Amino acid sequence: MKEFSATINGSPVTARDGMTILEVARENGIDIPTLCYSPELTLTGACRICVVEVEGSRTLVGSCHTPIAPGMVIQTHSPRVLDARRVTMELLLASHPEVCIVCDKANMCDLRKIAADLDVGLPRFRLPKHYFPMEDVSPYITRDMSKCIQCWKCVKACSEIAKKNVYGIAYRGFKSKVVVDFDDQPMDKEVCRDCGICIPFCPTGALCKPSPVRQAKTARPLVITGTAQQ
Amino acid sequence: MNSTAGDISAEAKKRGKLLVLLEQAQDKLGCLPKEFMARLAASLGLSISEVYGLATFYSFLSPGPSGRNVIRVCKSLPCYLKDLLIESVKREIGVGPGETTSDGRFSFELTNCIGACDQAPAMMVNHDVYGGLTPEELPRILERYK
Repeated sequence: MKEFSATINGSPVTARDGMTILEVARENGIDIPTLCYSPELTLTGACRICVVEVEGSRTLVGSCHTPIAPGMVIQTHSPRVLDARRVTMELLLASHPEVCIVCDKANMCDLRKIAADLDVGLPRFRLPKHYFPMEDVSPYITRDMSKCIQCWKCVKACSEIAKKNVYGIAYRGFKSKVVVDFDDQPMDKEVCRDCGICIPFCPTGALCKPSPVRQAKTARPLVITGTAQQ
Repeated sequence: MNSTAGDISAEAKKRGKLLVLLEQAQDKLGCLPKEFMARLAASLGLSISEVYGLATFYSFLSPGPSGRNVIRVCKSLPCYLKDLLIESVKREIGVGPGETTSDGRFSFELTNCIGACDQAPAMMVNHDVYGGLTPEELPRILERYK
């Protein structure tokens, strides 16, 4: 495999053909945050949190999907990069429910962790939240799509690792959503038995293992109908 | 990185066919009933989620039943900035976007760019494009569609 050199944050690094900027950075101990990237899945490039500055490039580039090239000069934490990451994070949080304090994912949440790392608090943008009813019917998985940031990881984990294709992405723009079948009833698929592969991939509290409290619940689930509902 | 035309897997071909089949069905049936999408998914070996996802992404495919004629007003930026059209169509046919007239003559939908930005504001009725529209022209155009 061909080796060549490039520069990250002023230091020379060695890269091999076919590596992405992110892979080389991580190999050299440089921490670039990611939400939609996982080494186990095909590339998505959706979240834009991993953007970096490449000398000569007009725009910032997503480091998770941009191949590194010989002689590339890269900045992973320049003011321009951090500014972009912060605004992206603010936009993600703007439509994310502010319920961290009661969320099961709590301190394991990637979204919350990266927001804290970037020093992003309450977002400046006040957008209507996309509230969906809690899907807690299935004994194998609980979905709260209000918390989803559409990183596609669950969709890809299900199709690429579990080979089950339970999820699809439907609708468009602000309305887009990870759906199951015709998106007309809470997720409850028998193929999910003994699987749960998608759950640890979720960077937010949108996917969780059903908690014993929920399983014991006998009353009708609370259904919140927001404007985002079809 | 190294995917070339020769590498397209059987899986990709299956998905490639999906959009064409949905388009054909939309033309023939006027909408995409759930039963049809379920059968199509089964016959292509895809999941229903995937078929439904594709069908709801494109504004020219509609999962629900629609009227005999479909009015599609462009809501992309250039047309949106010249926004009189939506209100005018609403006044003309009496129903708003996403609705169908009670006689089933017209469905009214908003669509993404129809490639007529130079003629904004623009709309389509069935397969015909109308650009540079003014509210006064609407009755004359719509009376051609029964």
